[in-house]
Amino acid sequence: MQAPVAADHGHTSSTGISNTKLAMWVYLGSDCLLFGSLISTYLLLRHRSVGGPTAEELFDIPFTSVSTFVLLMSSLTMVLAVSALMRHDVRLNRIWLGTTAMLGAVFIGGQVYEFTTFYREGLGYTTNIFGSAFYTLTAFHGVHVTVGIVMLMSLLGMSFRGNLGPERSETVETIGLYWHFVDIVWIIIFTVVYLIP
Amino acid sequence: MNLRNSGRGKALLLVPLVLALGACATDAPLDTLDPKGPEADAIQNLVVPVFAIAAVVFVLVEFGVLFLAIKFRQRKGDDDSLPVQHHGNFKLEIGWTILPALVLAGVGAASVFTLFDLADTPADAQDVTVIGQQWWWEYRYDVDGDGEDDIITANDLVIPVGQPIALTIESRDVIHSFWIPALNGKRDAVPGRAQPLTIEADEPGVYRGQCSEFCGLSHAYMRMRVVALEPADYQTWQENQLTDAQVPEEELAKQGLEQFRTSCSACHLVSGPGGNADLYKGAAQVSGAAPNLTHLASRGVFAGSIFDLWLDTNFNEEVDTEEIGKIFNVADMKKWLRNAPAEKPMYPQGERGMPNLQLDDAQIDALIAYLKTLE
Amino acid sequence: MAIIERPSDTLALPPGAGVARAPLGVFSRPRAKTGWRSWVATVDHKKIGIMYGASSLFFLVIGGIEALAIRAQLAAPGQKLLSAGLYNQVFTMHGVTMIFLVVMPMGAAFMNYLMPLQIGARDVAFPRLNALSFWTFIFGGIFLNTSWFLGGGADGGWFAYAPNTGVIFSPSHGMDFYAIGLQITGIASLVGGVNLVVTVLNMRAPGMTMMKLPVFTWMSLVTQVLLVFAVPVISVALFLLTFDRLFGANFFNVQQGADPLLWEHLFWIFGHPEVYILILPAFGIVSEIIPVFSRKPIFGYPFMVFSGIAIGFMGWGVWAHHMFASGLGPISVAAFSVSTMFIAVPTGVKILNWMATLWGGKITFTTPLLFSIGLVAMFTIGGLSGVTHAVAPADTQQTDTYYIVAHFHYVIFGGALFGFLGGFYFWWPKVFGYFLNDKLGKVHFWLTMVGFNLAFGPMHILGLQGMNRRIQTYRDGYGFNFWNLVATVGAFIIALSVLVFFVNIVRSKRAADLLPPPGPDPWDGRSLEWSVPSPTPEHNFDDDPLVVHFDDWWHRKYQADETGRVVKVHEPEEIAMIGDGSRAHLPAPSYWPIVMATAFPLIGYGLIFNLAISFVGAVVLVGSMVGWALEPSDDEDQPPHGHHDEGGDGDDGDHVAVSLEGNEVTVGG
Repeated sequence: MQAPVAADHGHTSSTGISNTKLAMWVYLGSDCLLFGSLISTYLLLRHRSVGGPTAEELFDIPFTSVSTFVLLMSSLTMVLAVSALMRHDVRLNRIWLGTTAMLGAVFIGGQVYEFTTFYREGLGYTTNIFGSAFYTLTAFHGVHVTVGIVMLMSLLGMSFRGNLGPERSETVETIGLYWHFVDIVWIIIFTVVYLIP
Repeated sequence: MNLRNSGRGKALLLVPLVLALGACATDAPLDTLDPKGPEADAIQNLVVPVFAIAAVVFVLVEFGVLFLAIKFRQRKGDDDSLPVQHHGNFKLEIGWTILPALVLAGVGAASVFTLFDLADTPADAQDVTVIGQQWWWEYRYDVDGDGEDDIITANDLVIPVGQPIALTIESRDVIHSFWIPALNGKRDAVPGRAQPLTIEADEPGVYRGQCSEFCGLSHAYMRMRVVALEPADYQTWQENQLTDAQVPEEELAKQGLEQFRTSCSACHLVSGPGGNADLYKGAAQVSGAAPNLTHLASRGVFAGSIFDLWLDTNFNEEVDTEEIGKIFNVADMKKWLRNAPAEKPMYPQGERGMPNLQLDDAQIDALIAYLKTLE
Repeated sequence: MAIIERPSDTLALPPGAGVARAPLGVFSRPRAKTGWRSWVATVDHKKIGIMYGASSLFFLVIGGIEALAIRAQLAAPGQKLLSAGLYNQVFTMHGVTMIFLVVMPMGAAFMNYLMPLQIGARDVAFPRLNALSFWTFIFGGIFLNTSWFLGGGADGGWFAYAPNTGVIFSPSHGMDFYAIGLQITGIASLVGGVNLVVTVLNMRAPGMTMMKLPVFTWMSLVTQVLLVFAVPVISVALFLLTFDRLFGANFFNVQQGADPLLWEHLFWIFGHPEVYILILPAFGIVSEIIPVFSRKPIFGYPFMVFSGIAIGFMGWGVWAHHMFASGLGPISVAAFSVSTMFIAVPTGVKILNWMATLWGGKITFTTPLLFSIGLVAMFTIGGLSGVTHAVAPADTQQTDTYYIVAHFHYVIFGGALFGFLGGFYFWWPKVFGYFLNDKLGKVHFWLTMVGFNLAFGPMHILGLQGMNRRIQTYRDGYGFNFWNLVATVGAFIIALSVLVFFVNIVRSKRAADLLPPPGPDPWDGRSLEWSVPSPTPEHNFDDDPLVVHFDDWWHRKYQADETGRVVKVHEPEEIAMIGDGSRAHLPAPSYWPIVMATAFPLIGYGLIFNLAISFVGAVVLVGSMVGWALEPSDDEDQPPHGHHDEGGDGDDGDHVAVSLEGNEVTVGG
């Protein structure tokens, strides 16, 4: 979480990868097991509900596909943000960072909308075992996206204070790693939760 | 001083000691190394050679360490020169990687064979459903095979000798574990699952067991027994279990029946005219069950098998089947009926276990008179 | 006890360092080199290591008192010293305390203190995160133990099998404290794990390739990798339990279709790697001690390393051996039974390599060596009983009996704790600058050895006689009486041995001034920590050590003479780095880690009692994140020393300035 301000001075590290970036990789490895456990839990429990409503009755695949697409696009804009900074284009970097954060926010908005709709249709957190598993898994992902948005906004803040020059492109890249990871996890969740019946 | 390293001698003797003790301990009714049926025998036949191999390795390593420590100690008068600097030996390393792996592969193969043997249920096995709940065991027998349980009993699991019994182990609340060490290993009773376990007793007798998965407050007090009977005795037992309770003739016992119907119908069922089937609507317990008392007096123990229901006429602390029906354990039953939670840790305020029913002496005497008739 | 000041003259402070700047107007930059302020704000891996050690000993006393209460209750049949409810809380908290608050932080103490020294670094990769790990851990531990005063401790066992941990079956707040408390210590472990993994991989001194790392550092790396991957699994399990208990979710609600085996799987997927997390650091310690006192290099170094890695990998494929009685079906049981047997192979390799290291040595029997040999001997017993319950059919007779209790105490006490106690005696002079008394140390060792075997040896017998675990009492007439009494006597002898250890610490400290100081290298050591003065100066190394060999420090002292005989060519005092810190650039202390760590227990109490407290916690968390982010990790008011400002923009990286410029860095493998 300290990543936004942590930068290395181009010191030679033993592996050639900076400490912050290596730490991010290690953390993401750990996060794989977090989502792995959550997804396994969901897979084990989703068909064990005693009463409805079930996934089939609730899911609106076209809607979620759109928000999935939005999140995927944010990975593209994240790449553009990093490459802009590497090309010393601070202005474009700001634009792409802002766009990425905005796309992330749209995705979160979609999730909030989806949750409220499901809740109105009768699926509370405690209604059945599918409800508990579904909301927990997707909310954990949502929290990850939200943290990502906060980090992007901090980058943007640093940029406007003049603290995010090309020498910091690795910081942006590291946050980018996190962002791509969260996107990939969503692809898995979308497939497992929404697409596989 | 180094010789005193054999302070570990105590531990050193441990493995053979364990084997010896296990083999001869007659005062240990839960002994795991004293099999009394074919399933437990299969485990024993596997365990003994494994212990033997372990003992050999144990002796080699422990004496090896001791030997090295003594042999290569820095002695008085040794010069300050360095010993020979070995860095390793590739062949040796490979050797002591492969050799243990081969031994373990052998042990592994033997385990897997035994494992699959034990998992097979013999075709002629008799089915009994075993259900755990806080903190006692229920047994259900479907005698005529119509899918409905005809005998429902508790604490004592009665089986015929020489007959494999296919248990289906279930739970009504938390995880318990059904374990009669003399007859087979344990199997957890997991709520929502039906788990198989086969047991068989070679000889008639009483085999003790205890719930062995931690199940809350009274885990230590959740005991059970298997009573193995000769086939003819078993037949008699079964016929008796299929009968209903009749209205008792003795006056005090009649009062007891009324008392039972008033005080106990929230949880316990006695079927038949001398019971409370008209009042019983399932037990007011988290598990939804309390022991069925229709044939209480035919059992050897009560209250999760922590008390003997019949006193032992030979005073050897183990109620035999012949003693059932002779001397009723009035003292313990009185304590139990006066204030059950004082005798066994329970949580009646959360509908887990029997509450203090606030009965007076006369009521308790009447109840006991009635309970005695439930043969 | 271990909070002992080191001389403050190691870092040449410019006189009158000026008025401290307050970056946010909240805290002035901590500057104290001594006193309690120097400890709460420290980011020095050595101080943090010492605090880990001190807290683990503190919790050892708490967990030990719980153990004595258990043994007192079980000394004779039918006792009523502890009620069933209290007994369940005591044995649960004994397990939780000993595993999460004693053995894990004790390992962390050694890893924090030694690993940077052994790789030739000035600190860990993220010093402030390191402080955050420690404070989060200690607050998590305190949080867990406050449950005693807030309605009772957890009563579902450390393994907390569902659904016995649900609100219906465990209505007190104990399990809430368990779930949230372990979540908090999990955060500490995860942050620490990421930090130390990066440290080993990235902060090695020039020439320190992976295959020149000391075995202890290697085992620490494996341990931390295991932590990084195991902690999220238990985190998920604990989240599910917390959500069930506090928000009415249905994860373990059988009426709603839940399967209780979900918890068992999640718990043991974490729980089995956890076993190796406990033991591997001790294996590392013993692998350092035995060569030093045998005056020989470790036998088969690459095999020691790879067997450790193999244990780390295989540790992920054996978890279901905790569930052989759970009804997994014969195929899974067979697979896990066989995989469990084969994990004995790399462990056996380690034991044989230690024995081969002793072979042909010139062994001096110091206290550290006695504890190390004790580990080899005692762990072997635990390992062998482990193989007997890898045999799945046999395990159905053994699991959940005292045989298992005997097994894991031989592994964790006879293994991990023996190793750590040896480590205390071994590195005490390095850390504090004085020796622990060797005579008292030997008394400590023999008392531990005798008490340990009396306490846990008989449990093998009790288990095979069918005595179940986790029972509040047992009945007369089951053959349990005698050995239980013996075990209780043993437990009190262990308590006495711990007392002797504490007496030794106090007396040795008092006697320290009268004795000659230990010098940089009192034991004729092999790894880099012995190349610096004792106690270690704040900056560790004057200059980055240049590493040529495995056991580099030893090779600097010993070389072959013209006849080819290896002889001592330098005394350690001649070649040790004497402690001129003027070229060192150290990360500045910070209050933010401890402030941020307070947020976690606040959030925890709030979830249990009143969400308003959680809100305060959340504000503290967010506030301290902002404060942390805005605080440069270097103190600008402190003029940087030395040569390292050539590329300097405004330093706010969370890094340690290790000057590697001009040196070729080899990436090993």
